[in-house]
Amino acid sequence: MNRRVILAAGCLCAAWLACGSAFAQKEKEWAAPPRFVRPEIATDEGGLWSMMDREETRLRRSPFSIRDPALHDYVQDIACRLAGEHCADVRVHLVHTPLFNASMSPNGMMQVWTGLMLRVDNEAQLAAVLGHEIGHYLSRHTLERLRDIKSRSAFGQFLGLFGLVGAVGQLAVLASAFAYSRDQEREADRIGLILMRQAGYDPLEASKVWRNLQLELKARPDGDPSRTNPMFASHPASEERQQTLKTLAEAAPGGSAFEERWKEKLTPFMRGWLADEVKRGQHEESIALFTRMIAYAPTRPEFFCARADSYRTRGKGEDWKAAQSDYDAAISIGGEPAETHRGLAAIYRQRKQLPEARASFQRYLELAPDAPDAAMIKSYIEESGT
Amino acid sequence: MRNLLLIVVVSLLAGCVSMSKVDSGEQKIGDRMSVTLDGPWNRINAPGLGPAEIWTMEGMPVDQLLIYSGIKNEQIVHAARTGTGAPKNFAFRSNMLPDDIAAMFEGMLTRDGSRYKLEKLEPVTFGGVKGLRFEYSLTRKIDSVLLIGVGYAAVSKGELFSILYAAPKLTFYPRHIARVEQITKSARIKE
Repeated sequence: MNRRVILAAGCLCAAWLACGSAFAQKEKEWAAPPRFVRPEIATDEGGLWSMMDREETRLRRSPFSIRDPALHDYVQDIACRLAGEHCADVRVHLVHTPLFNASMSPNGMMQVWTGLMLRVDNEAQLAAVLGHEIGHYLSRHTLERLRDIKSRSAFGQFLGLFGLVGAVGQLAVLASAFAYSRDQEREADRIGLILMRQAGYDPLEASKVWRNLQLELKARPDGDPSRTNPMFASHPASEERQQTLKTLAEAAPGGSAFEERWKEKLTPFMRGWLADEVKRGQHEESIALFTRMIAYAPTRPEFFCARADSYRTRGKGEDWKAAQSDYDAAISIGGEPAETHRGLAAIYRQRKQLPEARASFQRYLELAPDAPDAAMIKSYIEESGT
Repeated sequence: MRNLLLIVVVSLLAGCVSMSKVDSGEQKIGDRMSVTLDGPWNRINAPGLGPAEIWTMEGMPVDQLLIYSGIKNEQIVHAARTGTGAPKNFAFRSNMLPDDIAAMFEGMLTRDGSRYKLEKLEPVTFGGVKGLRFEYSLTRKIDSVLLIGVGYAAVSKGELFSILYAAPKLTFYPRHIARVEQITKSARIKE
């Protein structure tokens, strides 16, 4: 081996060890702050909380809010275990939006989108994202942003036009409009890992979240994740982030992923969220996501059905073959969604294989007799003859 | 939906939007479709609204009647946005099955994150051609208002003809749905 390679390898090892040991040291040094007290309304922080309170009231009433008590309590419990002493101040809201995102406001309001829950493989991966958001909360990063903006004189002069109350409101709006700095993101990552470990989660799962999301977003035709996903707008480059998280986690391994518990709690919602993902119409991203999900859990028929639906609706070249193969795979696993047969029937129908189309449509109606499109399916069956 | 409203608001501010009256009686839509109205409607005219004619009784944010006539294979069915990060465009394909057409409109209506639920899809004759009718509910992302919608569509000579109507569930949909159904029944597609 040449000397330069040995030297480079040695440097890398040293850097890795230094990084890991530094993290271990920082973990010992870091302590969560005491619970926050509601700030005075006349202060900048009070204005920020007040604005977020209004947003939370709106969110509680929103039809996009998921009101399933069991799911809510499950995710709230994960957030609580991470938040420790701050548990009583963290209020989780599950939001029906098929994109990867979670956020936490200074007043303790945490939003978790369904697109995030679809994309994580286990409880530890969700804990990684929630721990990161709690990291922002504990470090009061939003307030830092607000004050950073406030300190800029040009903004100050502009905001003076609105008077004190108006200025606070405008600052709050601006603060929410500006993303966290990359240093803040790195700090939140580090705290998130500490919280994960303290709550008994395997910190190695954190780096997998970003690796998985990066794979999916790279599949997009425009290929720039930062333009298409709210979580990427300010975050450090995912390769760097993934590697850093992995290195930090490897320095102090342990904990569990809690995969079975995650699967048990989430299975009742998966089919609906998979359908939402297909309907986004971002076929390349969705196919990459479903391919990864199939590789991770190859006995879940709903994953094959979802990928088949994406291929079929994209309809490029020989996509129908890939779709048919996935529908067949879902059926051979068993317990497939009724829509598997409808999709398969549509392919047969377009390929003029009418007896097969008829049989598949009939199977769909057997499994979903009250489907909203039952009348249309019956007409297809009649058209395809006996 | 939000994009459509945005275009109208921007155009309105720029003085590019106009509203014209659509009179009772027979109205030709495109080259091959006509409808007969038993009362007047308002037509919205603005650049960049997409291939559908947009009519309304109460005003754009409240109710919309979209009328498509002669949409060609691969033609996008809404005001298209391009560029990085733009939401997916939805285009008609002449080999679409009826449920694919309903799904295409679902995609169009949910580009802004609104929530859609198909309530019913059935075969009907539309404009004298074998087609489909679908009912849906839509929770609008921009203001969380629950809309009820109905759509009719048929494909003739590889071209799409369709009428979609949506309005808030409370008050407005019940107020106008009978007039909308009358329009869809009066539709004629020239073979």
